[in-house]
Amino acid sequence: MSVFTLSQAEREKSLLPQLAELTAHHRENSEGYERILSSLGIARDASFASIADLPWLPVRMFKTHDLRSIPESEIFKTLTSSGTTGAGASRIYLDKDAAGAQTKQLGATLQEVLGGERLPMLMVDTIGIIKNRRSFSARGAGVLGMANFGRKHTYVLDENDQPDVEAVKTFLATYGDKPFLIFGFTFMVWQYLYEVACEHELDLSNGILIHSGGWKKLIDRAVDNTEFRRRFKEDTGLTRIHNYYGMIEQIGTVFLEGPSGNSLYCPDFADVVIRNPETWEEQPVGEPGVIEVVSTLPRSYPGHVLLTEDLGVYNGIDDGDWPGKHFSVMGRLPKAEARGCSDTFQGAAA
Amino acid sequence: MSLNQRFPLGDAIEVDKLVEELRAEPVGGRLRVGDPRVVEFLTKFARKLLAPATARRFPELASLGFFLRKGEIAKALSTLETSGDALRFPRGLVFHVPPANVDTIFVYSWALSALAGNHNVVRVSSRSAGAAETVLEALNAALSEVDADTAAAITATQRMVTYDRSDAISGALSVAADLRVIWGGDASVAALRKYPLAPHARDLTFPDRSSFAVASVRGWQNASEAERRGAAEGFYNDSYWFDQAACSSPRAVFWVGEEDGAREAGQEFRKLLAEVLATKQHVTEPAMAVQKRVSAYGAAVDGLVSGIEFQGNGIATLELADPAVLPREWLGAGTFANARVDTLSDLVPIVLRKDQTVGQFGFTKEELTEFVTELAGRGVDRVVPFGSALTFSAIWDGYDLLTEFSRLVTVQA
Repeated sequence: MSVFTLSQAEREKSLLPQLAELTAHHRENSEGYERILSSLGIARDASFASIADLPWLPVRMFKTHDLRSIPESEIFKTLTSSGTTGAGASRIYLDKDAAGAQTKQLGATLQEVLGGERLPMLMVDTIGIIKNRRSFSARGAGVLGMANFGRKHTYVLDENDQPDVEAVKTFLATYGDKPFLIFGFTFMVWQYLYEVACEHELDLSNGILIHSGGWKKLIDRAVDNTEFRRRFKEDTGLTRIHNYYGMIEQIGTVFLEGPSGNSLYCPDFADVVIRNPETWEEQPVGEPGVIEVVSTLPRSYPGHVLLTEDLGVYNGIDDGDWPGKHFSVMGRLPKAEARGCSDTFQGAAA
Repeated sequence: MSLNQRFPLGDAIEVDKLVEELRAEPVGGRLRVGDPRVVEFLTKFARKLLAPATARRFPELASLGFFLRKGEIAKALSTLETSGDALRFPRGLVFHVPPANVDTIFVYSWALSALAGNHNVVRVSSRSAGAAETVLEALNAALSEVDADTAAAITATQRMVTYDRSDAISGALSVAADLRVIWGGDASVAALRKYPLAPHARDLTFPDRSSFAVASVRGWQNASEAERRGAAEGFYNDSYWFDQAACSSPRAVFWVGEEDGAREAGQEFRKLLAEVLATKQHVTEPAMAVQKRVSAYGAAVDGLVSGIEFQGNGIATLELADPAVLPREWLGAGTFANARVDTLSDLVPIVLRKDQTVGQFGFTKEELTEFVTELAGRGVDRVVPFGSALTFSAIWDGYDLLTEFSRLVTVQA
């Protein structure tokens, strides 16, 4: 059952009523969210003509405030992440239903490229990243979340963060002749898997790589997505490569790179709006702007329409590998800085 | 670990040697309060700042140049004249720690202290750029334009240095100082207080402050079109010059008067302000626009505001749910809390010691004096018309700086 089926018109029709209902649900159950919308003068019974008309929250709100639509007694899981923008960590509250829904939908999304069964899995990380289950980093959470979709996990790095070439060779000897899953963060995949595979002439041609985490660390090595794909194909035989874009504030929703590469697609329960940072109107195809991510998953907290701090651009609508909008992420918004009297500027100047 | 000498330009120097040099008596005798050598040097320096090319590039340096003109200096010094049994003298060696990111404060602080006849060592931030660099160039250039004896006296007694964080250096300068002047807010004050002073010495501190604006509804109604426009322009300078993060920039605007009038006046004022932003081609970076929304929505979540209005990315207005609960922290360039009160007296219980500047429009001197009298020292150090919030003055944060930088000796025969 694919979740990459809806054209943009079908998506509007299917998602808009659900998102409007979610907006009302969050107003009803999250006092903070209700205060924001009523301060903006959005009436309780407001109707929205399109997905782009829905009110958005800056994603950083979850770093500065506790926003949830469930009573404390129903909190099943609290996710925390520290982003790169400082201001502490986001706090995302899930109840049992929300936790179940996000795992299920992430699975449905990845099934598009992994097929129905769990594959043997190569983790481009160290097992240490998930050793401490009480508190792990965003990276650890990512590794743990992904581990569900594979079996026979083998970690590429040993406990000292050194590539464990023997372990990788053994894995490939055992499982390498059938499809297998590779997961890791983009820069680690490049630094450890690609470089080790080149050095030891490993054959990754049956691999399916799922990776995420941005290109910032690869820019000084002059590696962009196109180069990343080309080199993997030429030097290791790996061609099934899927970058994805997602964030803890919309856990379970990932925008997945299509088979032909260089464009991210929205699953059927999600959408994206690229906004002009001057007017906040939606940008046409080809015009960069700030990325807004939209998803029907967040029910336990008001995270269904979020303005990210990333820049992106539509590459097209209904004209790519899968239906709907497809887009690229171009980087982060620079941090807001102010001059002031305070020497150590921490948001409150002297 | 040595210090770099930025003014007068010189070789790197060890802190003990620097203190020794600063303690020595200069050629031509000790500096006195209002010493003509200092006046001569400052006047030359001011002229450089007022040069059209410099003033165009850094308007804040033009204000500084204006502040240091000969007539202004004379006016400031006249406030120090003593009578009766008292004679006024410099304090001695003053150690200044200015903020890193308001490029001109260190000059005001230093110049007034030099006028009072002190020997000064100023720690200039190594992060300083732009205007601060221009200031240092102008200081060094002025040195070659005064007569040799003046230059020698200034070189011997006045130093601006940079050094990387160093307990040894900050400690040595602190213990050597007769007065330590700390700008840059609470964190800077706390950091420097770790270093002991000599028993007779003291600190002059400039901690975190916040400011707000008041506008009289009646005053607005009685103002001409040009005066209203002028108010919006002045308010723009007060608020946007340092991204509203300067201690004197208003964070909140209180309309004082009846409700309908206040609403109309506020709307018209914001419309005029938006026109000023357009005329000045003010740009709000996308990250700043997002920051402003995070702050505004956050204030809503916290229950502080009942309404939020954006006029483009440049102006965000947060209608306060209760005028008594106003945000004093920085919310992003061009983010104003807005509220109405019946009279200035209603603001009295709201004021805190932290409140520094009240920008005002449309009040009479009597009304303002009455307000300040009623405050009775609770807070607020200065009341200025819109457009003057960032204008530095020799009386700052409640201190008469020249007085602070000098001391009195009494003689009875």
